[in-house]
Amino acid sequence: MLASWRRLSPMARREALEAYLALSPWLFGFVVFTAIPIGVSIFLSFTQWTIVEQPTWIGADNYVRMFTRDPLFWQALKVTGLFVLISLPLKLVLGLALALLLNNRLPGMNFFRTVFYIPAVISGVAVSLMWMWLLQPDTGVVNTLLDAVGVKGPNWFWDKDWALPSVALMSVWKVGGSAIIYLAGLQNIPAQLYEAAEIDGAGKWGRFWRITIPLLTPTIFFQLIIEMIDSFKIFTEAFVITQGGPLKSTYFYMLYFYEEAFRNFNMGYASALALFLTLIILATTIFINYTSKRWVYYESE
Amino acid sequence: MWYRSRKISLVLFALLMLIPFGAVTLAQDVVTIEWWTVNSEEYSEEVQRALVEQFNAEHPNIQVNITVLPESGFTERMTATLGAGSGAPDVAFFWDNNWFPQALDLTSYIEADPDLDPSMYFEGFWNTRAVWQDKVVGLPLGVGANFVMYNKDVFDEMGVAYPSPDWTTEDYIATATALTDPDQRRWGGDRPRGPFRAIWRNYGAFPYSDDSTTIDGYLNSDAAVASYTWLWDLVASGATPTPADIEILGTEGTGPIDLFLAGRLAMATLNQGHMLTAIESGVNFGIVPEPQVVGNERYVNAFSLTASIWAGTAHPAEAYEWLSYWVGPEGQRFLMDNGHLFPSLPDVLADHANADKDYVQAFFAVLELRQVAEWVNAHPCNGTVLRAAVDAWDLVNLGEIGRDDIKATLDSLVDPAQQALDECVARLGA
Repeated sequence: MLASWRRLSPMARREALEAYLALSPWLFGFVVFTAIPIGVSIFLSFTQWTIVEQPTWIGADNYVRMFTRDPLFWQALKVTGLFVLISLPLKLVLGLALALLLNNRLPGMNFFRTVFYIPAVISGVAVSLMWMWLLQPDTGVVNTLLDAVGVKGPNWFWDKDWALPSVALMSVWKVGGSAIIYLAGLQNIPAQLYEAAEIDGAGKWGRFWRITIPLLTPTIFFQLIIEMIDSFKIFTEAFVITQGGPLKSTYFYMLYFYEEAFRNFNMGYASALALFLTLIILATTIFINYTSKRWVYYESE
Repeated sequence: MWYRSRKISLVLFALLMLIPFGAVTLAQDVVTIEWWTVNSEEYSEEVQRALVEQFNAEHPNIQVNITVLPESGFTERMTATLGAGSGAPDVAFFWDNNWFPQALDLTSYIEADPDLDPSMYFEGFWNTRAVWQDKVVGLPLGVGANFVMYNKDVFDEMGVAYPSPDWTTEDYIATATALTDPDQRRWGGDRPRGPFRAIWRNYGAFPYSDDSTTIDGYLNSDAAVASYTWLWDLVASGATPTPADIEILGTEGTGPIDLFLAGRLAMATLNQGHMLTAIESGVNFGIVPEPQVVGNERYVNAFSLTASIWAGTAHPAEAYEWLSYWVGPEGQRFLMDNGHLFPSLPDVLADHANADKDYVQAFFAVLELRQVAEWVNAHPCNGTVLRAAVDAWDLVNLGEIGRDDIKATLDSLVDPAQQALDECVARLGA
């Protein structure tokens, strides 16, 4: 590194120094608020630490417990995995569908774009409380409407089979945020491609599959990664509404992590849980990134 | 000349060196005690600041610096500072048992204090909130308890006799059923907020053995089955709101006070704060303890807040001076007279403005019962085991199992609960 530094011209050295100087606030923030906490967390995952007492080194026992002696860990992992599998495709598809609708050139479209984006900026706690009211089995709006058309609505959050789909439904409601990103992607697709396809006789469906989807794949790829991470981190809804119940049907991984860290003050084990989730997210991201070579198309290609 | 100027320089140097010592001596005359507290219904920020002013005026050598934190952020901030080992306040609430290792042992200070004696406090609260692992880790501020509040007007309207303090768990279901009126969308009573609280104890049920080794025979004991069966009967009676109703219609996590005030609940398990709210609202109510099981010892879910001195304080004597003032007779009387505190000192509590009212007398009687907290505080793994065994609670509350399935359900939870107990005991001790 020193040799390459010496090979630089004085002007290049000055530019490099200036670049590092400009980067230094970010570097400082990264080291202090990200790199060091991650390092400490890795260390703590090999300890038993109740916060107010000194950490005790216990080797890999937290990880051994996680995989061999902790049914709650497997339950939390199963519930979270199911939630990702249910909510992620829904959010991707419905986000795109909404973006396609919002991409129409109709009067008042900006108003609708704003309206659909609002759920994305409302506090998660407020949204949770609102959905509790909407899905109340006896007096909630949803079941009242279902009742009006002769359908007996389920007990939603208070039913072991419906609680998880209810949380998934809530997360889908916030799809306006991703729709805006899709919309930006849609508007970046050159109009002349559609015109050329139309001249060639392509119908709406054909234009959608052969132009829109391929050129939108970078956006879909981005959304897939972001929404996947977001789904794995689901917490507020369960914390506010279900507390993981009933019958642990919404006992999400982050809720388990929270209880271990901040209710049981079992920071060592909580660190191990956090690291394992990070590894899952990392592995899934690498896998998606790997497959992206086959299905993501960039304009430059 | 040279000698003279050197002499002057030395004198000047010596004087300069003395300045900081002089400053330190002056500063040591007044010791500042950092006190973290919260704003609550029982003691508002204003009242607490007035108490500090009074203390500071009476103790010119000690100045208490009050920091009032929101209740929601207090736990996080205390945990963070105690974990960091620096920056914690000299005196504060130590309301989480996990903080007790960092509390100063007050035994020697209390022994040397002629004005403060443990026998001044309610024995149950002293045992559960002041003593931890044979050390005195703090003093209990205020008292609170759960009891059943009943709406006398609803009872009169329905022609149902008021409950008596010696009522039983069966009486509870029968009374709640008689008071339920679907036409008026009114329930007779509410459900317990969790298993192994007062009513479970009244049945003699404990989640595991007293030596923290065994689940089998405890979580699934006859007493536990009886208490869950009682819950099952209560749920099946239709005389109580469902968990969904409570979550939607109740706005407080501490009990369905709003439903009670609205006349939608004829009986509700509430606390002394709710009692004050009911008085303000003009509700005609009475109070009885949670129902008993004949022949068994009776328990109450009672609580108090531990106020402690941080073990890392630089001024333990002055901190004790403030702590014993705040949580001693003088401070608690001040907070009672100027706020809404129910003191943990029976002699002071006896002077409460409403002490002659029948419901306050009933509340005082509840305070004398044996406390659920005795078990909970002595068993740090209680919460972990209950979390592993929560399925039985859910199944009964949701009406998912039959009455005869309770024993089998509890049996099925023995293994996961035992696993949770073993892991927790290895970590936190028995």
